[in-house]
Amino acid sequence: MNRWYFWVSAVRLAFGQLMANKMRSLLTTLGVVVGVASVTAVIAVLSGLKTKVLAEFETFGASRVFIFPDRPDGVPNNRFGWSDIRLKPHEVEELRDKWPSVKAITPVTDLEATIESETERLDGVSVTGIWPDWHACESRKVIEGRPFNRIDEESVRQVCLVNESAVQELSLVGNPVGQTILINGRRYLIVGIVETIQSRMFGMGGPTAEVFVPFSVADKLQQSRRYFIRVSAMLKSPELAEEAKSEARYLLRRMRGLTAEDPDTFRVEAIDQYIDQFKSLASGITAVAGGVVGISLLVGGIGIRNIMLVSVSERTREIGLRKAVGATPGAIMAQFLLEAVALSFVGGFVGIGIGRLMALGVASIPDAGLEQVYVPFWAVLMSFGFCAVVGIVFGFFPAMKASRLDPIEALRHE
Amino acid sequence: MIRIRDLHRIYRVGVEEIHALRGVSIDIGRNEMVAIMGASGSGKSTLMNTLGCLDRPTSGTYELDGKEVSKMSSTELAHVRNEMIGFVFQSFELLSRQSALANVELPLVYSRKSLSPKARIAMAEEALGRVGLSDRMDHTPSQLSGGQTQRVAIARALLNSPRILLADEPTGNLDSQTTEDVLRLFRSLHAEGQTIIIVTHENDVASYCQRVIRLRDGQVIADCPAHEDEGVRLAGGAR
Repeated sequence: MNRWYFWVSAVRLAFGQLMANKMRSLLTTLGVVVGVASVTAVIAVLSGLKTKVLAEFETFGASRVFIFPDRPDGVPNNRFGWSDIRLKPHEVEELRDKWPSVKAITPVTDLEATIESETERLDGVSVTGIWPDWHACESRKVIEGRPFNRIDEESVRQVCLVNESAVQELSLVGNPVGQTILINGRRYLIVGIVETIQSRMFGMGGPTAEVFVPFSVADKLQQSRRYFIRVSAMLKSPELAEEAKSEARYLLRRMRGLTAEDPDTFRVEAIDQYIDQFKSLASGITAVAGGVVGISLLVGGIGIRNIMLVSVSERTREIGLRKAVGATPGAIMAQFLLEAVALSFVGGFVGIGIGRLMALGVASIPDAGLEQVYVPFWAVLMSFGFCAVVGIVFGFFPAMKASRLDPIEALRHE
Repeated sequence: MIRIRDLHRIYRVGVEEIHALRGVSIDIGRNEMVAIMGASGSGKSTLMNTLGCLDRPTSGTYELDGKEVSKMSSTELAHVRNEMIGFVFQSFELLSRQSALANVELPLVYSRKSLSPKARIAMAEEALGRVGLSDRMDHTPSQLSGGQTQRVAIARALLNSPRILLADEPTGNLDSQTTEDVLRLFRSLHAEGQTIIIVTHENDVASYCQRVIRLRDGQVIADCPAHEDEGVRLAGGAR
């Protein structure tokens, strides 16, 4: 067959057919439009989210490791009591001295306290006890004054750091460094101000007042002697995450005298785990969206199939004529498959356009933190791929029907 | 050119069998102009469909230009139709949205030959020239008269220089003046060496041919030169 000319004519005919039935074609492809538009929008939002979250993890630092107390699964609840599980200050000190892969480590403990300035009184403010190494573990800048030092820690000095929100909420006038505030009625000297960061994810909730005190001070402020401690540490380099985790497990298990059969009574996590978690969450959402899209593509495909059947019966005489002048069954089949794919592509094209508009709409929602929403190129390719498949799969039956028409019958068709 | 031996064609409609052709044997030579006649139900349409390779006989042989075509697959038959047969239909069968030129070019879409766009257009223009429509190439069928429309269809049939031009009631939808034009066109094509088979039930039309084959109940009942055919003689004799 004179392939090139045949395909050129087939494409021309397919689009001519679409143009001749504009409204019908558009309505037919509605299912495909909806399917492709929704998958495009979902992928756009997820891509934007991923970029943003990964960027946030980056600023968090990819080199961070955390240790939490954790009751192991699969053992009776009374097997390990809280006192067995709880991280204790002396354990953290031993980790600091013996953990080779980390360069900075700090225990972190939170409590709520009442804070007072000359004019304001705030209840339930978050007070966090930290070692001076905290500054190396968290990327939180001290923008005024100085960070904590070892003397603050070792001498249990009544000093604190506050964030900018706390300065505002306490209505401190002038330079807050050097002023004093009351924490649970006792007087502390503000030695520095740390920047306020947005609460971690997606900008939910406004900034809140935070106060930091030396860990030794927090130890005294805690009501209970069995308070919660977690550990935050900074790796010497990001590649050491796995090693650091096994080292920590080894050290802690030995400290706690756990035998080979005993499960871990703590949990060591590196930032990469969170990234993995987010990625699996994102692919979960993608899968669900994929299912929804699958259903609408199915509906769209059935629409295409029906309209192609209508087209075949409307053009029976034309098919008869084409066969009479030498169109093989294969050529007729190819022609109608191409028409179904063209219909589907039109749907895909419109769908991607609408999907992009939807994505732009989402991106422009203020404060949602989704400014980075975009439609990746692979999503466009994938959409067209799906459309081609839908066109071929659902166009197959009508095309088959057309190709098998008896030319004599077809020419006699009224 | 055409050699048909003991052709049978049986249709099954439900449990009933319709014996449309019952042992037809015909030879048609190069550059003949033949009319196939018969009442409806005589089998003439079935014979024409078989001659045109649109249908396969139930039994018997059909040799077209030395090729046995009665056992070919539908794809092979499509190629034979494309390369060896030109059809002219009663109702023209032109694509209404396409120009005359594009309509004439249609068989080339399905041609196995590779032709440049220029060559294709030249072929179509030449075919339109042969039917005297060089000045109507860009007109769509709705902008042409009935006679012109049929001439476009004839140009399409001539495009691939077919061995046989097969016309099925070519004048059935035309008035007497344009019928005359079209038949004169057939006659001049015949004079140029074209083999032509016309299926008709009009003696007037048959009288333009050299030879008349009459069918009844699926069998050939008369096969003689037109001037000897009684029906044709009564209609005014062979011209």
